[in-house]
Amino acid sequence: MTAILELDGLTRAFGGLKAVDNVTTRVDHGELFGLIGPNGAGKTTLFNLISGFTPPSSGEVRFKGEKITGLSAHQIAHKGMSRTFQNLRVFPNMTVFDNISVGALGMLGVGPFSSLFGRSSHAKEISERSWEMLEKVGLADHADDLAANLSYGKRKYLEIARALAMKPDLLILDEPAAGMNDSETTELARFITGLNKEGLTIMLVEHDMGLVMGICERLVVLASGRKIADDVPAVVRQDPGVLAAYLGGDEE
Amino acid sequence: MLDPYILQQLAIGLSLGMIYALMAIGFTLIFGVLNVVNFAHGEIYTIGAFAGLMVISVFGPPLLVVLFIALATGALAGFGLERLAFRPFRRFSDEASLKSRAMREATLMSSLAMSIIAREAMEMIFGSQFQSVDLAYLINKPIGIGPITIVNGDLIIFGITVVMLGGLQWLLKKSPVGLSIRAVSNNALGAKYCGINTDRTIIITFVIGSAMGALAGILVGLYYGAIFPSMGFTPGIKAFVAMVMGGLSSIPGAVISAIILGLSESLSTSFMSSVWSDMVAYAFLLLTLIFFPQGLFGARRERV
Repeated sequence: MTAILELDGLTRAFGGLKAVDNVTTRVDHGELFGLIGPNGAGKTTLFNLISGFTPPSSGEVRFKGEKITGLSAHQIAHKGMSRTFQNLRVFPNMTVFDNISVGALGMLGVGPFSSLFGRSSHAKEISERSWEMLEKVGLADHADDLAANLSYGKRKYLEIARALAMKPDLLILDEPAAGMNDSETTELARFITGLNKEGLTIMLVEHDMGLVMGICERLVVLASGRKIADDVPAVVRQDPGVLAAYLGGDEE
Repeated sequence: MLDPYILQQLAIGLSLGMIYALMAIGFTLIFGVLNVVNFAHGEIYTIGAFAGLMVISVFGPPLLVVLFIALATGALAGFGLERLAFRPFRRFSDEASLKSRAMREATLMSSLAMSIIAREAMEMIFGSQFQSVDLAYLINKPIGIGPITIVNGDLIIFGITVVMLGGLQWLLKKSPVGLSIRAVSNNALGAKYCGINTDRTIIITFVIGSAMGALAGILVGLYYGAIFPSMGFTPGIKAFVAMVMGGLSSIPGAVISAIILGLSESLSTSFMSSVWSDMVAYAFLLLTLIFFPQGLFGARRERV
């Protein structure tokens, strides 16, 4: 197995507070990987360091063997890493179809200048890719609806479809199950495992243990910015440090 | 049967409204992607007019070439403006700074500063008086239609604006550029993570908006035959009012409001002195802010 994503001594300090403290781990090709931790553990910060949103104070991130620290978010997205957001960032006043097209456009990586004078084959490719993704997440009937008019659950799938439209090598999902009920979560778990079976590497960032324990092959647990466990779910579940972090003590 | 005078005023008002619409689009597009008001937009209009004037006095090319030069100069000016007055304040890409008031106010001041510098520079170079335009280029040749007389400029302005608006609509709805502009307007951060180069999209938006503003400038210059460094101020205010009336980031809203504004101003001169017609815009602004703070078309806020 070769690593697709490597974190090496990643640290981010805000003033005196180390939100992420010396985290080293790797995600292998084809893996369904989970990152969990209680509230305030530094999951979101770590996520932001990986996706180029925040620069690290020290350490580096390598994606497909290439150093990506210092690149801007859209450049990292071009390299094949796409993400969804905990508080959704769909384009509310655009149609569902157009939302996904933006992802497909991002994948093609055509700049505005070249696309203005560029080939029309781009438009065709974008549209084909978008339809494919719409059908994959079952939103084809809603293609012409405004994204703002979709239900919360459907908007989550829309965002995943948009991320998939970029043909990512690594898909990072930020708390996808937040705000979902049990049956929706089960449905989502099935969908995510399905994507992973098709060969997509997925990193799941979750606050809630249930989903992650059920479907991930390997877990990293963060608490107070530090990695306190890195193993298969069965082992992590028994880890005294993890239990302590979740049952109190370190929680803010 | 309407009074011919009223019909005539309506024709003039429509031209005026179309000009405001061309200007308002620039404001609206830029407000859409950055949530800031570009106070230098009026000067872009003036720059367009002067660029046309210079080309006319030096080369005397066909009218279409003059318009094209104004368009291109506006595009270039928009590019420069973004680089000088807006980009330096976007060093931080996190959401808190993008949406912060300090950021908005900083670009507000920097664009205002750019507008003052541009206006003063033009006054130093050309003087503050009216520049007369070669008569052959003026678009005020009378055309009689039944009882009323309009000028060929009315038709030219109407035609060009319709083409520009149609083109813009196509660009925004059908082209990849439009897709990225709409995405950035909707959610800049989301767009960025989809691999959209937001900085480049913002520049494109300035280029498109400014090109249209500059085109409006040269059209008005040739319509009235007067080009002067402070000519952009009043239309700038009117276009700003149209943008607010339309709900800040709605292009259809801004265009309709601009036309309403132009027609009302023109009709108002039939019962009050034309000196007071500017008050119409301010009255509209006040009424909008008091009774329709979301804009006249605020109910469904389709951005861009």
